[in-house]
Amino acid sequence: MLVILRDLLRYNLEFRIGLVLVAIVLVMAGLSFVSPYPPGDVYLVPPDVPPSSAYWLGTTSRGQDVFWQLTFAIRNTLSFGIMVAVLSRLIALVVGLLAGYSGGWLDRVLMSINDTFIIIPLFPILILFYFVLRDSMSTPLLATIMACLGWSYDARLIRSVALSLKTREFTQTSIFSGMKTHEILAREHLPYVLPIVFSTTMNNMNWSIGIEVTLAVLGFTDINTPTIGGMIYWANQHTALVAGIWWWIAFPVALVVMTFIGLFLLAVSMNEYIDPRSRLARMGGSR
Amino acid sequence: MSAAPGRAPVLQVRDLQAHFRTRYFGVDREVRAVDGVGFDVRRNEIYGLAGESSSGKTTLVKTIAGLLKPPLEMVGGSARFSFLPEWDAVGRAPPEVVRRIRWRHLSYIMQGSMNVLNPLRRIRHSFRDFAWRHIGGGKREFDARAAAHLERVRLDPSVLSAYPHELSGGMRQRVTIALATICKPDFIIADEPTTALDVVVQKDVLGMIRSIQREMESSILFITHDMGVHAALTDRLGIMYAGRLVEDGETPEIFGRPLHPYTRHLIASLPRIGDVEQREGLEGTPPNLAMPPPGCRFHPRCPLAMPLCATTVPAMVETLPGHRVACHAVNPGAAA
Amino acid sequence: MSALLELDKVSKSFSRGGLFSSRRVDAVKEVSFTLDDGRPEIFTVIGESGSGKSTLARMILGINAASSGQVRLAGRDVASYERRAFMAQVQPIFQNPFEAFNPLKRLDRYLFMTAERFGGAADRAAAEELADGALRQVGLSLAEVSGRFPHELSGGQLQRVAVARALVARPRLIVADEPVSMVDASLRMSIVNLFGRLRDELGLSIIYITHDLATAYYISDRLIIMQKGMVVEAGPARAVLSAPSHPYSRQLRDAVLTPDSAGAFRARHPLKAAATPGATP
Repeated sequence: MLVILRDLLRYNLEFRIGLVLVAIVLVMAGLSFVSPYPPGDVYLVPPDVPPSSAYWLGTTSRGQDVFWQLTFAIRNTLSFGIMVAVLSRLIALVVGLLAGYSGGWLDRVLMSINDTFIIIPLFPILILFYFVLRDSMSTPLLATIMACLGWSYDARLIRSVALSLKTREFTQTSIFSGMKTHEILAREHLPYVLPIVFSTTMNNMNWSIGIEVTLAVLGFTDINTPTIGGMIYWANQHTALVAGIWWWIAFPVALVVMTFIGLFLLAVSMNEYIDPRSRLARMGGSR
Repeated sequence: MSAAPGRAPVLQVRDLQAHFRTRYFGVDREVRAVDGVGFDVRRNEIYGLAGESSSGKTTLVKTIAGLLKPPLEMVGGSARFSFLPEWDAVGRAPPEVVRRIRWRHLSYIMQGSMNVLNPLRRIRHSFRDFAWRHIGGGKREFDARAAAHLERVRLDPSVLSAYPHELSGGMRQRVTIALATICKPDFIIADEPTTALDVVVQKDVLGMIRSIQREMESSILFITHDMGVHAALTDRLGIMYAGRLVEDGETPEIFGRPLHPYTRHLIASLPRIGDVEQREGLEGTPPNLAMPPPGCRFHPRCPLAMPLCATTVPAMVETLPGHRVACHAVNPGAAA
Repeated sequence: MSALLELDKVSKSFSRGGLFSSRRVDAVKEVSFTLDDGRPEIFTVIGESGSGKSTLARMILGINAASSGQVRLAGRDVASYERRAFMAQVQPIFQNPFEAFNPLKRLDRYLFMTAERFGGAADRAAAEELADGALRQVGLSLAEVSGRFPHELSGGQLQRVAVARALVARPRLIVADEPVSMVDASLRMSIVNLFGRLRDELGLSIIYITHDLATAYYISDRLIIMQKGMVVEAGPARAVLSAPSHPYSRQLRDAVLTPDSAGAFRARHPLKAAATPGATP
């Protein structure tokens, strides 16, 4: 894995750019731990100050320093994205591998559930959840809901790989070596599926962050937890653009765009390199 | 190499070298898939190439046909067709020349017939796509000609209206043979064309390849690992081992008097119905072409190996009239 | 003498097509034969693609259940066995040695796994000893295989490792489906001879599934010839192949090309009746 990382750094420009962008975003998120201001408090600094040496990215109409507020926002947004990605990857892996390998009625049941999730209109469901849960809607809860809605495409993808793995002779060799189903899935088939999981993780994070920002901007999330979408929501509430407080919106947008592009480039470049075929080729296998 | 009168060479391969050059994460690897191969294919003959997996026979054919794609590169030598006098290899000729000679002078019969035939189009359209350009004439005229040609490979003209999936494997392979031969090319490259077929169908298809070759007096370079097929079909035969040609000559001569120890083993190890003699496999494994053994590449497995074999590459020498072999034990003192 | 393996009118049919227009295709039709316990032999199943020989192998291995009829191992229906108890007695060898092992995993883990699960090895040391013993029987050793990935070995070596893995389980029967068709010619006979040694020295019975009549003649004791799911001819291998009586068997034997068929096509091939689409499925 370390060798792959080293070689990616050396030979892949997309990976380098992606890594730099993601690193900037991560550093921003990390700075939240040394923030001089608590994230929830307002009117700590003079409001509506443009970017200056005292307040690098300016201050909001609510008297918050945009820079430090942004560190909390990106941390929450990122951890939201990671939560959704990890949870939905787990569901997609279990469902995809099991459905593809077992076949028969289990496959049919799992895939009809899967297809139901694919066609469910996502946005109305999320808004419905918000109206039902209202104040008890927290970030982890939203992440769980999103994870439950965001695994279906990848589960289908993983299933199609598992289907072809099942017909390969080494699967029979594993069975006749006495391996149990879960061992075959975890040890024999998982390595072939992991590259897909890696690259879809990035895309899934982008997807969930995008949805979260949209929901937050519209005010359908827990607006007291600072997130990128939450910041834009408050800026809109204070008609920041009309009042000329552009920095309140521009910097969160810029940061989330950097996150998107960074994750996307990482996904693309890693997809290219962790593909089992190129991995095999690197190992010297010619078949 | 002396060509019999009236049997001018159509293809001359000289000291051909083709290597796989790869770079994975900064590590260069060079696999010498074809290393110094030379032979002639004459007019109106079937020249067979035999060899195991990784013997380089498919790479050789790709090089000759100009189908090399990176990481495969032609490193040295030449492969000259008589109908392409100014370019020493198809791969080095300009694209428009290659387009002109394809199908008309040079065509291919490949292993997977499904890859040639578009599964969504009727056979008639495949014929039009490939050959109409070269033959010309009206649509009806061309279809009539295609139908007549299909009868030559013993297929009913109604096959023209069929889709590939409606045909059996043997029939599909016959369609690809008809496609490859409708322009009466001078030279046909056949790469394992019957390997995927059942034996009964294979015999049929081989017979057809032979009869159509006789009729058109074209030359065929026929590649297969199956020595039985070579014995039955080819006029002359070259044996490849680990990227080099080790023996070539008239097919009956090779089977009747094999000189190279590898050829001898290949022929002797084939079991025959009605013969219960014990037959042995060859010890050892084919060499890794990224790190081939020095000298003769067969020496680590050779029963006749001498100290010389490990250091010096044996030269291809015409030991008997028209029968060349590269082996120190057969040709003492002939180093390449 | 009791029977090791009995096939009693075994059939397998698949349904093809959609919900409304499905039709049944008989892959194997009423195949019966018996392998005796205590008289180890190489029993060959000859057939071309579509003859049902691989489907038959999968039923003997218990991977697919028979549609009708019974496959019995030591007198008991294969379907009634606990899978692992069955696998300890019947082991497979597959066609493509490069596909028989996961290309991303080391080879030895399959040997050790089999040793622990079926060979009765209690710990790693015992598993290594079992694996080494089995590898030595096929002309390799654990030192040569240990830690290696499949792509580091040749096809012939991999196929021997596959045989060794099957041997580690100490089975009574090995089912080998086209085990040499993808092995290079120069290495093929060592695998075929290996089967002969397993029979003679270890007393193993082997079901050898192939389309190659010459190796069948060379190594097997009895054979059946299958066409379109049915057995068209059965009997002692050499007698049947020397003088086949069924027209299809004769056709098959006549199509075999050997070095002795030199010049089979030198004479002009007689024109036969033109084939029409759909004549052969």
